[in-house]
Amino acid sequence: MNTLRLQLRVKHTEGALVRVLGVTRRRRFDLLHLRADATEDGNFLEVQMTVQADRAGHTLLAQLAKLEDVSEAEILEPAALERDAQAASFGG
Amino acid sequence: MKGAQFLVKALEQEGVEVIFGYPGGAIMPVYDALIDSKIRHILVRHEQAAALAADGYARASGKVGVCMATSGPGATNLVTGIANAYMDSVPVVAITGQVATSLMGTDAFQEVDIFGITLPVVKHSFLVRTASELPEIVHEAFRIARSGRPGPVLIDLPKDIANTIADYEFDGTTKADGSAAPGKEAIARALKLLRASERPVAYVGGGVGMANALNELKTFIETTGIPAVATLKGLGAIPTKHDLALGMMGMHGSKAANHAVQESDLLVCIGARFDDRATGRLNAFAPHAKVVHMDVDAAEISKLRHAEAPVAGDLRDSLRALASPLEIEPWRRKCVAMKKANAWDYNAPGTDVYAPDFLKRLSERAGENCIVACDVGQHQMWVAQHFHFNNPAQHLTSGGLGTMGFGLPAAIGAQFAFPDATVINVSGDGSIMMNLQEFATLRRYDLPIKVVLFDNSALGMVRQWQELFHDRRYSEVDLSDNPDFALVAQSMGLTSFRVDRREDVDSAIDQLLAARGPVLAHVIIHQEANVWPIVGPGKSNSEMMDEVTL
Repeated sequence: MNTLRLQLRVKHTEGALVRVLGVTRRRRFDLLHLRADATEDGNFLEVQMTVQADRAGHTLLAQLAKLEDVSEAEILEPAALERDAQAASFGG
Repeated sequence: MKGAQFLVKALEQEGVEVIFGYPGGAIMPVYDALIDSKIRHILVRHEQAAALAADGYARASGKVGVCMATSGPGATNLVTGIANAYMDSVPVVAITGQVATSLMGTDAFQEVDIFGITLPVVKHSFLVRTASELPEIVHEAFRIARSGRPGPVLIDLPKDIANTIADYEFDGTTKADGSAAPGKEAIARALKLLRASERPVAYVGGGVGMANALNELKTFIETTGIPAVATLKGLGAIPTKHDLALGMMGMHGSKAANHAVQESDLLVCIGARFDDRATGRLNAFAPHAKVVHMDVDAAEISKLRHAEAPVAGDLRDSLRALASPLEIEPWRRKCVAMKKANAWDYNAPGTDVYAPDFLKRLSERAGENCIVACDVGQHQMWVAQHFHFNNPAQHLTSGGLGTMGFGLPAAIGAQFAFPDATVINVSGDGSIMMNLQEFATLRRYDLPIKVVLFDNSALGMVRQWQELFHDRRYSEVDLSDNPDFALVAQSMGLTSFRVDRREDVDSAIDQLLAARGPVLAHVIIHQEANVWPIVGPGKSNSEMMDEVTL
């Protein structure tokens, strides 16, 4: 199983977050963690999600990136994920 | 101006000439506004047919198809058609009425969350929350539907907003966003693979037609000499009769096409997506080949098969950049010989009408530019195998979703796009019943659509699978209690006749093509007629089953 962390900037429009989650589910990625914060002006959501799947992470990234509401999408470096896991295990 | 009036004005600005729809409570303001518009509304008899007709209109014309329905059941009846357009990347704008905003979320009469229901099957969607948003939403919907990889867009319009009076303004019309050109490095990688290849095959999909890249594809194929195979939706991108067109690949593909792909050392995928019906068992597909994958949708590249040379961007640019001569003459000759050696054999035993032969003869006589809209099942595969196409827009077929009932509404859409064209709906006795009510639409508008109904008193494709892969354990495929379709059609205003002997085929085709109004040929075929060859479930495309006697 591949675990990956994604960071997205999403226009804060009708159903945008549901759309992101729907694509994630339909492409057979399991959601492990989700955080979405509206930007100060309320126009965007900054979304961080951790997902798990047998499939390559780039396939989900590409599907999310082409959504009309998604203005930026990137996979955070695996190293960042490992650092977070270590930090968590050390209570950081 | 009311919101509904602005909506109609905006549709006019977008060049919409025809809307397929069905009125009802929540969409009434828009229907009221349509009375004063030059846009022609086509009243179908079921909302599903409205969406499928819009789809057929878009496929045939290359324009955005528009359909409309009221809230609740009107909207849910559109869903299959919207999903059909989504799966085959067809530009459609679907407009649904919605209950007033004050009632939304209260389980009001005919309230349904169509925005939520359609989320997985639209390219994008809008729920109009305020009247001020309406101008931007309408034009965005058209821009999105037709840009890049096309697709359906939904606009859900609450009734109170449709009735809101405001100053709506929008300057001009929208155009599709231009697709980005491929990167130089990507082209260089692809060229390197092409020049190193000894047995390349072009794997041509529906994206070529949608990108208006037919000329570029022809130049690419003829300059490089690469033999081409087509997906169901790619048929006609290279004319069927072209020497280098090896036919359809995949489950019911031609032997020449499947063998060429399996032997290839380089697969040049052009606007296709490695669909399972095309590839057979994926890990045994083109096992010796590296892949150059050109597509406007970067998400399709390396989704199912790793591409050594990914080429994202406008297909026209990519094909132009890659069109240079290759030293592959022995391979080219081998493929042309394979095509010749595996040509279809139309000498079937018996006296029943042989559907492949009927379709070949019809194809030869229906004119170079006729449009064929199929339903789904055996007849659909026979059309793909035996009809000759010069352009993918001539072949309207539900490839991705496989929607039984697609053909008749799609033919209606195509006939409105091209009123003078010969439009043929090839259907089966299962599929025709899915949207039979649209015979009434043929009569209402006196559409000269020619319906060829192959009747084997069964759900033929399912029956074939049960015969071949379920030990002849037939389950719910018998349709021997079918109505007399010729009589049904006659009662709904079509000319109709029955064909049940092979010797009558030529005169039947004469009668069909000579008819001035809507006409149905009810063609009886043998119940055990099967589609050959076939690649069984889970099998490689190397393992084609040819005609078997069980």
